[in-house]
Amino acid sequence: MKSPRLSWLTFLRVYFRSFLLQASWNFENLQNLGFFYLVLPGLRSIYGDELSTHAQQRQVTYFNTHPYFAPLIAGTILRMEERLHAGEDVAVDPDAYKKMVMAPFAAMGDALFWGGVRPLAALIGLLLASQGSLWAPVVFLILFNLPHLFFRGAGLVLGYVQELRAIETLQKCRLPDLAIRLKESTTILIGVLCAYLSFKGCEHQDISGVWGFVLLPVVLLFAWLSHKGVTSLFLVLLTTSSLLLLALLF
Amino acid sequence: MVIADYLLAGLVAMLTGLDRVALVQFMISRPLVAAPLTGLVLGKPLLGLEVGMLLELLWLGRLPVGAAIPPDDTQVAVGATVLAFSMGQMLGLVGMPMVILAVLVAIPLGKFGQIFDRLARNVNDRLAVAGLKALGSGNTNGLERRHLMGLISFAVSSLATACVIVLIGSVVLFYTAPQLIGAVRDTGLSLQYSLIIVGAASLLGTINVNRSISLFCAAFSGTLLVLWMR
Repeated sequence: MKSPRLSWLTFLRVYFRSFLLQASWNFENLQNLGFFYLVLPGLRSIYGDELSTHAQQRQVTYFNTHPYFAPLIAGTILRMEERLHAGEDVAVDPDAYKKMVMAPFAAMGDALFWGGVRPLAALIGLLLASQGSLWAPVVFLILFNLPHLFFRGAGLVLGYVQELRAIETLQKCRLPDLAIRLKESTTILIGVLCAYLSFKGCEHQDISGVWGFVLLPVVLLFAWLSHKGVTSLFLVLLTTSSLLLLALLF
Repeated sequence: MVIADYLLAGLVAMLTGLDRVALVQFMISRPLVAAPLTGLVLGKPLLGLEVGMLLELLWLGRLPVGAAIPPDDTQVAVGATVLAFSMGQMLGLVGMPMVILAVLVAIPLGKFGQIFDRLARNVNDRLAVAGLKALGSGNTNGLERRHLMGLISFAVSSLATACVIVLIGSVVLFYTAPQLIGAVRDTGLSLQYSLIIVGAASLLGTINVNRSISLFCAAFSGTLLVLWMR
């Protein structure tokens, strides 16, 4: 195998450009311009001033994945382009590789980051905020961004060094299982938060904390309604109008 | 609230709005961060924290997947913080009841965010076509420029949403807040907590794990019993 040619400076440029992947997100081709913008420093380094039309066209096709997984794909693509430029064979065409992995990576990223890390970090932040602590947003940002920034950087290097084997490495990390564990932890924290608010409400009303259990079926009913597609907006309107009506009448 | 405060809040609206999709996604766009940040530039970070707390969970379960555009909770948070501060000052109403009213008025207006966001993405469609044309003529710098210009559409869309929320919200609050503030105060903590609990329930309803209900019930019961026996 040829030794890696891309410099650390190029890697850094690709890494920081990954923050702008969705700058021109559009309905037609979603992140296509963004992905080209992301890999462009690498392509320029490989092809020099004579950036081949072929390589350009390969990188501006339809593209959509989870933004935090894009550096991983970019790393692999850049290594493939290097090989093609050196006249070596590649197992899969770069464009076909992109099309093959973008949807599974998007699903994995959505479950892990949007469905797992973010709600968990938000609930921890919210529990702090309920104590009136201004550290809440800071803690939330740190908890969310440590894995986020690490994943972007590690993904880029992993994709470049391991190429197609990066997929196997990801499988070994069992990210979908991790996402499930995070969601379970989030569920537990939702329970803790609701119980805490319920208890504080009882304290405020000067009644026994046991009355807090009344809230349990209410939350379950709302969760069921939400699961059935009733919007948060409707639930907010229903709850607040009922409470305000009661306050106005009595 | 002076003009400079509105300008600073507008800047926060654009910065946090960009973080939603177009730039970095550090999550400064989450209400728990965006609202205290707005509060900070207005000199009232705790007011922002109160707004952020009420809004954080409401749409957290709505994932920004593919072409799906969730309601703009970022601008709802920024707008509600500005409303609570400015209208509170103007009407002489302060405290949690005013924060709750500002949040309640801002929440439905978050729908405007979806409209403006869709418009921004339509503008980006044209930028993408122009970018590809530039690439076709060998001008990679032209494509890069078109790509980065997409940030402008998203920033303008965020600012427009925040402006609509503040403008419409101010008019609504001007006429309704003095009448409703007493009723909101009478509800005590119920109304404040109900917003967080509706958010928590919505999030619970969207979490797809097998044992979610059992885990939730066990955590709820365990915590409540511990707090009660303390």
